Amino acid sequence: MGAESNLADFHEQGSLIHRLCVLLVCLVWPLIWVGGLVTTYDAGMAVPDWPGTYGYNLFLYPYKTWLLGPFDLFIEHGHRLLGAVVGLVAICLVASAYFRERRRWVVVLTWGLLLAVISQGLLGGMRVVWSDRTLAMVHGCFGPAFFALCVAAAVVTGRRWNGYWARLGERPLSPGCVALVVAIPVLSYTQLVLGAQLRHVQPNAAPGGFAMIVATHVIVAFFLWFITMLAWLRIRRCGDLTLSRPAGLLIGLVGIQIALGVGTWVVNYGWPTILDWFPGSTGFLVRAKGFSDSIIVTSHVATGSLILAVSSMLLVRVLRSQHCLKSNVDRDVAEPTEYEYRNNTEQQVLEPATV
Amino acid sequence: MRNAVLIAVCFILGCDARIETFLPNRVFSLSLEKTRGASAERATEDARRVVQELYGTPDDPSWPLPDNNLADLQNLVRSSGPVSSEKDGTHLGLFREHCVVCHALEGSGLGAASVFQNPYPRDFRHGVFKWKSTERGKKPTRHDIRQILVNGIPGTAMPSFALVDPEDVDALVDYVIFLSTRGEVERRVIAAAIDELDYGETSPEDGWELDSRNEGEGGEVVHEVLERVHADWAETQDHEVPVPSFSDLTGKALAASIARGKEVFHGKVANCAGCHGPSGDGSLPTLDYDDWTKEYTTRIGLTPDDDEALKPFREAGALKPRRIMPRKLQGGVFHGGGDAASLFRRITQGIAGTPMPAVEVVSEPNGKGLTVEEIWDLVRYVQHLSTSR
Repeated sequence: MGAESNLADFHEQGSLIHRLCVLLVCLVWPLIWVGGLVTTYDAGMAVPDWPGTYGYNLFLYPYKTWLLGPFDLFIEHGHRLLGAVVGLVAICLVASAYFRERRRWVVVLTWGLLLAVISQGLLGGMRVVWSDRTLAMVHGCFGPAFFALCVAAAVVTGRRWNGYWARLGERPLSPGCVALVVAIPVLSYTQLVLGAQLRHVQPNAAPGGFAMIVATHVIVAFFLWFITMLAWLRIRRCGDLTLSRPAGLLIGLVGIQIALGVGTWVVNYGWPTILDWFPGSTGFLVRAKGFSDSIIVTSHVATGSLILAVSSMLLVRVLRSQHCLKSNVDRDVAEPTEYEYRNNTEQQVLEPATV
Repeated sequence: MRNAVLIAVCFILGCDARIETFLPNRVFSLSLEKTRGASAERATEDARRVVQELYGTPDDPSWPLPDNNLADLQNLVRSSGPVSSEKDGTHLGLFREHCVVCHALEGSGLGAASVFQNPYPRDFRHGVFKWKSTERGKKPTRHDIRQILVNGIPGTAMPSFALVDPEDVDALVDYVIFLSTRGEVERRVIAAAIDELDYGETSPEDGWELDSRNEGEGGEVVHEVLERVHADWAETQDHEVPVPSFSDLTGKALAASIARGKEVFHGKVANCAGCHGPSGDGSLPTLDYDDWTKEYTTRIGLTPDDDEALKPFREAGALKPRRIMPRKLQGGVFHGGGDAASLFRRITQGIAGTPMPAVEVVSEPNGKGLTVEEIWDLVRYVQHLSTSR
């Protein structure tokens, strides 16, 4: 009974924290979308003051003026409000982890999340106060990193973290395969930084530097696609669907992202010469501020963040799997780890017939 | 406290570099050095100073002739500076929001994304525009520039601003005129400094230095240039090319007109087929360049393919020379508009800055020009070609 009670407590305690982490993930991706729209519409300076909005407290700004006012104001103030909501959820997460989470490093992680969201808010605020494009770029790069951190927090607070991996009887993944899984988020983030430099290009930037970044961005995109394929080929038969499915998903996401990248270029600069064989390309007309065009551009930004998040999730799961499986192999004799103990106890609880 | 945090973070991460001035036109200076055999460095630097006194900076523009209604200063202020917007949705920093990534701050066409464009973005500083309703050598009207902004240029990176607030478009028209006059004044002042004021390795004698205050020889030269360039822009309405009435034909009359137009297309006078190809597919090889490229290549005796000779120009910012291609008439894509009036003007005036020649309009067929009716036949044939592939 004692073990059952402990496990029930453990899940109950972990459940709220995990749900808050998932809520964060569900809020941050839309936040990235709205932030992307703000940049696409050059609306970053639609509200010139910070942390207030035109002299009002952020939460007290007249909602009618916000909802019925200019589109720039709508998305910029909306971005701030959504960011504030994310901050409040992060505070709730820290509080619940402080009182209910036993793992000290997870508590530290939740504090890290709160610190990250505050930093991101500060960056966004400074971008406004100083009307600074470089800070806008840093703000744009930090958002996806925060998103990936939220996803990692959701993974480590999930049920599977404590009970899933140790039941596997397979051998750990090879070091080469793990290296591939590490490379994907690293390359994804490199792509985000390169893309941010193209998106927030300085008005006096030289053509040579811009061209070099474009070329690197394109080459790394295809290299990343190749790496995701290699990783999937190595992972697909590991027997763990929580690894092989995200690995397969990444191939599709990077493929979609490349297509969106081409679309982003086309709606900004027309069809590139190497694609002038494409039907309709010679007469294509670029439209400034077209809504569907802005959605293509923004979805390229958001999908980049999604790739980083999924690849980070895969990485955390793989590292966890490696850790647990190596523990099994090294010990060779069943001396249950803390997690195996919990897992075994969980199985006993869930499947009393096997006791 | 907040400022301390801001300063600390910016110190760590870095901030935007301030844009204090427009960059000088180094490519033109090098071309002048080649043709005049004299150093243009000193003249370029003094011209940059004088032009800045007259026209201001990228963040703080000014208009040197207040009695001239070419450009509204309020619109220039709205178009310049960093991108931002006001509570009522009014956008500021319009040029940086919409144009700078291709056309660059100076309107030099050397923006960050310029190398990927074909054709290259327009360099406004020459004061030469391709798509307009005026005579070949004249400036475009405000309406012409506005039309290009609203319609865009299909098949290129030049977007349509049809969805942008019309007031923003008007402000951008003013800013394009501002950059063009500013750039042309700068070019002419550098040339005048060398040709008329004895600029060379060193500055000229006292009183002959370039001056924005209309004092001394240098000041007079500057103001002569200024008034000349502004006058060219002010009188554009007087140089609009009138378009005779055009009849919409149908049936046999249209077919006959198209057939006559085909003969004109292949005839000796117009000889359109000589460049655009017998079937108008633009497939004939070409060795020609536009005037913007010729300025730092063929006109100063340099071969466009000679990378070594062009190295100083490339380092000064010149884009790699790219041959100009005659329009493929079959695709139905006309960069400057495919309506009858636009085509009429293009045939009778040619296209400024390009090898596309003008055809003389004559009252009677004489083997040297085309009559109005022959031009309309040609227009109908070109429009007919544009619907075939």
